[in-house]
Amino acid sequence: MNHIFRKFPVTVTQQASILSPSLCRTTPSIQHPVWCTASVGDREYRGMPTHGIGRWKYLLPRQAPKKKKDKTQMKQMVSATDTAYGTLNVKVSGYDMTVVEHYSQYIHNLCNRLGIQVAESYALPTKSTEVMLMQEQGNKMYVDAVLKTHQRVVQLSSLNTSLCPIFVDILLKNQPEGVQLLVKEHTEADFQARFKARPELEGLIAQINQ
Amino acid sequence: MVSRSFPQLLTCFNRTAVGSAGCRRFSITPPGRATPQSSTAVERVTSPWTLMAAVCLQRLPVITADCSPIEQRFKQMMQQMELEKSLLSDHELRLMEDAERMSRKQGNEYDSDEEEGHGDQEIMLAQDLEDTWEQRFKSFQPAPRVRADLDKDLTSVQRCLADSLVLLAEQQVGAEKLWLLPQAAWQEGETLRQTAERALCSVTAAGFKATFLGNAPCGVYKYKLPKAARTESSVGTKVFFFKAILADSAPGTAPNTALLWVKKSELQKYLKPAYMMKVDRFILSL
Repeated sequence: MNHIFRKFPVTVTQQASILSPSLCRTTPSIQHPVWCTASVGDREYRGMPTHGIGRWKYLLPRQAPKKKKDKTQMKQMVSATDTAYGTLNVKVSGYDMTVVEHYSQYIHNLCNRLGIQVAESYALPTKSTEVMLMQEQGNKMYVDAVLKTHQRVVQLSSLNTSLCPIFVDILLKNQPEGVQLLVKEHTEADFQARFKARPELEGLIAQINQ
Repeated sequence: MVSRSFPQLLTCFNRTAVGSAGCRRFSITPPGRATPQSSTAVERVTSPWTLMAAVCLQRLPVITADCSPIEQRFKQMMQQMELEKSLLSDHELRLMEDAERMSRKQGNEYDSDEEEGHGDQEIMLAQDLEDTWEQRFKSFQPAPRVRADLDKDLTSVQRCLADSLVLLAEQQVGAEKLWLLPQAAWQEGETLRQTAERALCSVTAAGFKATFLGNAPCGVYKYKLPKAARTESSVGTKVFFFKAILADSAPGTAPNTALLWVKKSELQKYLKPAYMMKVDRFILSL
């Protein structure tokens, strides 16, 4: 391949000399150092002006590497002031999962539109209820149906008191059938209730403490 | 104004089946409501406006509104599509298995020992279960959704179960009796919300249990007295509206003033135009 490259500078210099003899006495040979000294292993793009055009990670702020052993911390709870409620939990529960999920999505979108900041939006574990009926003849109970209660929570970081009546009114007017709506403050206990209990760990801690 | 620390609300709204009261069930527990601080010795600028607070008491719909024709067609189409895309449920699989087993039993080469152990299913076939359910469904009588006689009775709180209703009271204002949202004059030392609560209790006297949605008013109406009646100290009245939701509709005592439960579309017949314009803005017709 080298011979092709070597030919090119020669022809270019010839052209240069033809085209502009008056401009420059000495015909400058157009150097293509990359091509002249090209060996098979080198990559030529590193010298191109567009090299590294797609880099973006260097623009991001430096993040400390996340340690896996960090226990999940609760987001800061906002306390109530004179003009705004603190962290509120809007809990939606019902038997029909599609309706419950759609309603919680509706609440989240409504908050985005009204400018209410949503801290978190999560689901609590499903609770199964067995409906047992008494048999017509006899005393035994038999399982009639299994009802599953689904719960979704939308956590609002703060709610303006002037906006509160309007917000609650819209929620109530758009509440679908079969869905229960509950608005209450967020507490530490609510956050801890989401975690699974670890009996072995608690047993070991109790043993250490004793 | 007197500053108060904010009461925290704990509200629970249920949309359950139509209870005896024909109303949505409610619970509200305001935890740790701070006692209102007494007014400090602050120079009060007496304004020429008399302040009043009114309550917009709403009874939320109890049953779903009927679907429009397009909605009905779409609903049917979606149900059909979901039915066609769905998989068979446990009950339907059991039906098929039982039918298959019956057909095999009728056949000559039937060996009951070869059957897998489905003791319960042989005694109580899935078809029998379906029959018992069918019987129970036929014996169930749902309450009628729309009762024409109740719908026409404007004073009944159980009318028009599919719409939200607003309470109107006929009150003496100045020289004439007008239909308006129940209101009461503000007195020294109480918040406007307490005035609204007082308005509800005193004007209706019917023992309505209401949950107020917040401390902030949702609307205001200004009324300037005619030039002849204006004095230095009273230019007019300002009425602040507070929203509340009806929790329990069982009236304890008979009301002493005339009360009406009206839909938003019927408000125009009873309210004055200027008043109606302001009230219209905050009553949601959802």
